[in-house]
Amino acid sequence: MDVFKADVAIVGAGGAGLRAAIAVAEADPSLTIALISKVYPMRSHTVAAEGGAAAVTQSHDSLEAHFHDTVAGGDWLCEQDVVEFFVGQAHEEMVQMEHWGCPWSRTADGRANVRAFGGMKIERTWFAADKTGFHMLHTLFQTSIKYPSIKRFDEHFCADLIVDEGRVQGVVAIEIATGQFRMIQAKSVIIATGGAGRVFRENTNGGIVTGDGMALAYRHGVPLRDMEFVQYHPTCMPGTGLLFTEACRGEGGFLLNKDGYRYLQDYGLGPASDKPRNKAMELGPRDRLSQAYWHEKQKGRTLSDPRWGSYVHLDLRHLGEQKLRERLPQIYELAVEYLGVDPAKECIPVLPAVHYTMGGITADGNTAAPLPGLYSVGECSSVGIHGANRLGSNSLTELIVFGKVAGVQAVAYGKTVSHGKEATLRKLAEDAERRALALVARSDGTERVATLRREMAKSMEEGCGIYRTASTMQSTCDKLAELKQRYKRVQVDDHSKVWNTDWLLAIELGFLIDVAEAMAHSALNRRESRGSHQRLDGFEARDDVNFLKHSLAHYRGADAPQIGYGPVKITTSTPATRAYGAAGEEADRKAKEEAVHA
Amino acid sequence: MPESKRIEIQVLRYRPEQEDVPVWQSYYVPFTDDMSVLQGLQHIKDDIDGTLSFRWSCRMAICGSCGMMVNGIPKLSCQTFLRDLLPGPVRVEALSHFPIERDLVVSVEPFVKKLESVKPYIIPKKPRSLDQGEYLQTPEQLEQFEQFSSCINCMLCYAACPQFGLTPDFIGPGVLALAHRYNADSRDGGQAERMEIMSTEEGVWDCSAVGYCSEVCPKHVDPANAVNQNKVNSAKDYFLRFLSPKGASK
Amino acid sequence: MNARAGVRRPYVRSMQGWWRRDPFFMAYMAREMTAFAVAIYAVVLAVGVMRLAQGEAAWNGWLAALRSPGSILLHLVLLVSFAVHAKSWFEIMPKTMPMMFVGGRRVEASTITRTGWIATLVVSVLMFALTWWWKK
Repeated sequence: MDVFKADVAIVGAGGAGLRAAIAVAEADPSLTIALISKVYPMRSHTVAAEGGAAAVTQSHDSLEAHFHDTVAGGDWLCEQDVVEFFVGQAHEEMVQMEHWGCPWSRTADGRANVRAFGGMKIERTWFAADKTGFHMLHTLFQTSIKYPSIKRFDEHFCADLIVDEGRVQGVVAIEIATGQFRMIQAKSVIIATGGAGRVFRENTNGGIVTGDGMALAYRHGVPLRDMEFVQYHPTCMPGTGLLFTEACRGEGGFLLNKDGYRYLQDYGLGPASDKPRNKAMELGPRDRLSQAYWHEKQKGRTLSDPRWGSYVHLDLRHLGEQKLRERLPQIYELAVEYLGVDPAKECIPVLPAVHYTMGGITADGNTAAPLPGLYSVGECSSVGIHGANRLGSNSLTELIVFGKVAGVQAVAYGKTVSHGKEATLRKLAEDAERRALALVARSDGTERVATLRREMAKSMEEGCGIYRTASTMQSTCDKLAELKQRYKRVQVDDHSKVWNTDWLLAIELGFLIDVAEAMAHSALNRRESRGSHQRLDGFEARDDVNFLKHSLAHYRGADAPQIGYGPVKITTSTPATRAYGAAGEEADRKAKEEAVHA
Repeated sequence: MPESKRIEIQVLRYRPEQEDVPVWQSYYVPFTDDMSVLQGLQHIKDDIDGTLSFRWSCRMAICGSCGMMVNGIPKLSCQTFLRDLLPGPVRVEALSHFPIERDLVVSVEPFVKKLESVKPYIIPKKPRSLDQGEYLQTPEQLEQFEQFSSCINCMLCYAACPQFGLTPDFIGPGVLALAHRYNADSRDGGQAERMEIMSTEEGVWDCSAVGYCSEVCPKHVDPANAVNQNKVNSAKDYFLRFLSPKGASK
Repeated sequence: MNARAGVRRPYVRSMQGWWRRDPFFMAYMAREMTAFAVAIYAVVLAVGVMRLAQGEAAWNGWLAALRSPGSILLHLVLLVSFAVHAKSWFEIMPKTMPMMFVGGRRVEASTITRTGWIATLVVSVLMFALTWWWKK
């Protein structure tokens, strides 16, 4: 087996992975970086993010405001010291991106423009048309080319981590073009493999978002934190689940039910006004909007189509064609090409679909996992800034703020350890190779990959949807246990070595089932409603006494995961009611009054 | 449930361990009017023949993975709809002008090497520290290059370009558009460095203005424009060398 | 090298007959062919200039040759070629020009193409008028 020795190995070359690689290269140009990705970097799912990246910019904005919006948006499940750090670093990272060439949209006088976004009190979302993730990813990838110390392993599928002497010492990767296994030995490993939205049936995610890094860390004993918190984005395309950015609402779009009524005002987000008001109506947080949709559907007030079932209308007609083409060009094209709808003339059918995984690999404020030498950054990671619900435009900022941290930390850690013995590690790598090859060697399997995947996705949608009950969650847990057994008999059609994607999909299915189990069991055990985890079975209220804590899912092999709990770090923001719309404005006004009198 | 129609999808298969020459294979796929070609291929892989290999990810024409020839025209399969190809058969083949690795998967590595070769990053005209904040760039200045920055690296333009097909060393439309994107960015001062690469034979001068690249570009980047306006720049640069001993930089 | 590794055998497809595979390419080849028409007509005109220099008899001989049925047929073919040439080059002309703005709005490719045609029309009318007036 080929062995490549690096100082830092980074798995995943999306926004987070690329930023980490650049950080390592800049911190110490003499270090070798192995940047490993199962797709070429520009295919990473960062590319699909649309709306923007938040950073305190305007003079009437403050770090406290961004902090408070984020912590309240996360329903107080955030690590507040980490959030404090995050909001403080955001602006500098945006400027760094700009210096690297990111084509941020501008004000007339040439400064970076900011726009309103859901759950944010003051406009602070930097954006590049409606393709912010695309522009950030391409800027980072193209900038990374400057650094000769970054050695890329494009289209290399990470099959396992190498763990020895209680620390991570590298990864085993499959060169997709040849089926050849490679060992990449490293003093530290940064996982930046993205989320796991593909465990659900309707999702905005690309095919590659299969929780690979989460599953690998999990199987090696790293707990997955807060996995029950899965974000439903309120405005997605029926059928495919493709995303219509929150910026549609930031620019002033309305959500209408079948009576043409802006129904969000019935759910504590009103009153409705013509112009968008921050943190009100359509600019409320995503979990509230998705939940409102669910209630409308129960009341029979959503529209219906034989192809997709129920949906609601996103009304952008009043923006006019010119503004739409200028500010939301990609949305325009999506609506026209995929749905045959002209947003300037008709309403766009939308419904909530799974979009983001708030939970992930347990990471401290330095992105370090409990396993020494392992770091995680981006959607695969739970560094503690999103809590129970993520605010839009915080995750693109997360990639670059914590990407840099992970890189710097990995460099520092590398100075304290030396490479392990190659022979020992090679043996571990060969074990991993054998395990992976066992899947493709089998000829008496009885289950199809696609069948198991569909059953999993359907079950997750039913049991871990927008609203959950003990019985639906238990059904899903049982189903996943069954799928785990059936997975042992999965049969792959393709036995070749060159570009065998059938085999890789089977490996990914294994990752998906493990991650799904962590999600379902964490959800079942959280007997309260908080953020995006909402129950209808007697646990409708938030319970700060018993559940102001993080869920920690521990891998137990063939058995169901064990769910434990960990404390939440509170600094300055004590849990309060999440108030939006008129109630939010009232709460803000009262808080200001009290501050004046204090 | 209405009885679903079926449509025939013919795919050019190539399994290097099994055959020496690519061979057409026919599949019958259940059809609904919102299905893309990509969804058709996914059905084949999921339920009929798991050995069919193809790249895909985002499903929304932004990742650039799923480029292939559909009825002889370079297309993104996620954005090409079966309803527009009725009654079929739909012929799907790997992107033209690239070597086929397997089925619908082509060799991408040379394209990426070319991309890396044109210095596709800001070479600042004027240095600026982070605490000085962002460079100022007006919307008008942004407009000068924004279109060219929209390239998703899908390589449809390379499949459309016969010069690339005849001369694989040609840097090609997409990469030259990216080089132009940086040249046209008001923050960048690297025009002279990139000119050295762009004004070679493999640079803009392999282009004979066929213009098909811009026709097929799903993001309206207009690479033909990026390449051909730089022929003027390249010529200017060449002739001005005779006037100025340092050559015409900028 | 890992013994288990599959051997990559990229398959290169032939470019033979590439221009026949797509109507766009055939139109492109037609455009390129019209360059020959331009070359041929340049030769015709060059011969005319040469005959003019050789005196009245030579010049009248050349004019008579132009009026022959073979020549008229050739000129018709050349005229059609020139029309195709002009159309295809005016279509590709915008591609050769940098971004232009008039009054804050981006100048569209179609505007540039149209300008080309208008210029052609104006010059053609002027040439006709000039030769007509000259003949008189």
